[in-house]
Amino acid sequence: MQGDNGKQYHVQLEKGDVGKYVLLPGDPGRCEPISRLFDEPRLVASNREYTTYTGYLDGVKVSVTSTGIGCPSAAIALEELVMVGADTFIRVGTSGHIQKDIKSGDLAIISAAIRDEGTSLHYMPIEFPAIADIDLVLALQKAAKKTGARHRTGISQSKDSFYGQHEPERMGVAQNLLNRWKAWEIGGALCSEMEASAIFVIASMLRVRAAGIMMVHATEPMPPLDILLETAVQGLREIIAEDKANGRAVN
Amino acid sequence: MSLKQHHIQLEKGDVGRYVLLPGDPGRCEVIAKHLDNAVHVITNREYVTYTGYLDGVKVSVTSTGIGCPSAAIAVEELVRVGADTFIRVGTSGGIQPGTKSGDLAIVSAAIRDEGTSSHYMPMEFPAIADLEIVSALRRAAQIKGVRYRVGITQSKDSFYGEVEPERSAVSEKLLDRWRAWEIGGAICSEMEASAIFIIASMLNVRAGGIMAMHGEGEFGSLEPLIETAIVGVRELIKGDADARR
Repeated sequence: MQGDNGKQYHVQLEKGDVGKYVLLPGDPGRCEPISRLFDEPRLVASNREYTTYTGYLDGVKVSVTSTGIGCPSAAIALEELVMVGADTFIRVGTSGHIQKDIKSGDLAIISAAIRDEGTSLHYMPIEFPAIADIDLVLALQKAAKKTGARHRTGISQSKDSFYGQHEPERMGVAQNLLNRWKAWEIGGALCSEMEASAIFVIASMLRVRAAGIMMVHATEPMPPLDILLETAVQGLREIIAEDKANGRAVN
Repeated sequence: MSLKQHHIQLEKGDVGRYVLLPGDPGRCEVIAKHLDNAVHVITNREYVTYTGYLDGVKVSVTSTGIGCPSAAIAVEELVRVGADTFIRVGTSGGIQPGTKSGDLAIVSAAIRDEGTSSHYMPMEFPAIADLEIVSALRRAAQIKGVRYRVGITQSKDSFYGEVEPERSAVSEKLLDRWRAWEIGGAICSEMEASAIFIIASMLNVRAGGIMAMHGEGEFGSLEPLIETAIVGVRELIKGDADARR
C-alpha cells in the first residue's frame, strides 16, 4: 500500500530502491553490519522496525531489510518488498535449538517451517505447508560448504511468543506448550525462531522465492555471527550465479 | 511367532532400502518390470510387494492402497523391515491452469487435508519431502526430457469431495479451500503424500513423490512417469554411494 509520498506505507521504499535479492534479518541493528559485506552499500530508508540498505554483489543490486520481531511485521515487510520489485528472500538471524545434538553456532538452513503463529492463517488454511524455495535451499547448502560452516538443513518452528518458549511453565497454557515442543522435537525440527513460516506461506502465494538460514543457540554461549552473515551473503552470490546461468533477469 | 509385519506380511530381507509406493496394487507388477530380476514377494489385502535390483542394489515396490490410513501402515511396517527411502508414484489431478495431462508433478511438500497425519503431529507441522529425493527426481525428469513441475500437492481424504464437491453437504467449504490451494500455488491433488511425509519426518527416513497429472487433453501412458521414477531411484543410489565415499 502506497502512502501519499508514493512509497510503500511501512517500509518507506519505492521501485528502484531495492534489488530483486533481499536478506531479511529480524533486528534493524543487524542491517548495517550485513550491508558492509555488499559493494557500495547505502542506507535507503529507516522507518519503524524497517531499516533498508542497498548495495551490489557481483554487479547485481541486492538489499537487506529488517523485519522486526514476529510474523505480523515480517509479513508486512515481505508484501511491501514484493510490491517494489524484490522476488528472492533469505531470512537470516538467530534461533534456539530443538534437537539436542545441535551446538551453539551451528547453522540451520531452513527448508520448511512449523506454522505455530497467527499471521499465516490470514493467508492460507493451516493444512498448507510453509516451505522454502528448493533452489534457494540448495544455494545456501553450497554456500555453507564454501564458508566451511557446520550446518544442517531442516524444519524451523516459527512461534508467536518468545517467553512461551523460554519459560513455558509460567504460562496459563504450560502443558500445551510443553506437549507441542515435545512434538516438534519428535518430528525432527531443528530450531525455533519467529518469522519464517509467514514469510514462506506468503512467498508461495506471491510466487516469489524464500528460504532462511539461522545460527542456532544451544546450551553453550553463542559465537559471533560472522560465519552466519558470510554464508547468507555467499548464498545470495550462489543463487545470483545460478539465475544468470539460467537466463533469469537478476536486476 | 511370525516375524512378518501384520499387514504387509514382510520381514527383514524381503525389501530393499529403496521402495517405490504406488497406490494401486495392480501397478506393482508394471513397475517391477523396470527392475532387474524382480520377484513377487507377497500379496496381502491392498499391499502387494515386488523386489528386484537397480544397478545391483535391492529395490522394492509396495502398493499402499488408496488413502492415508493404509499408506501410513505401509510406511510404518516397511521401515520396520529395513526400508528408509520412499518414492510415492501415481496419478493426480492438476490444480494450476495450463496443466497438460501427463505432465509430471515432483512433490516437494503436501497440504495436510486428511485425518491420518493428525494422529502423528499437530497440524502446524509441515509435510515436506526429502530434499535429496526432490533433487534426484528433478534430475531424472531433466534426463528423461519430460514436462514437469516441482511443487506442493493437496493430499485429501475424499476423492468424490474433490471431483464432485457440489453434491457434498460441505460444498461451500470444499470449494473455498480448493480456491485457497490454487492461490497458494499447489500443483496437484492426490490422497497419500502428506501422511507419508509426516511419518517419514518422525521416523527420520526419506520420502518424496512423483505424480502424473490429469489436466487438459487426453491422459496417455504411465510409462514416462514410471521411467522417470526409476531414473530417480538410480540417481539416489548414485548419490548415496558418492556420499559414503
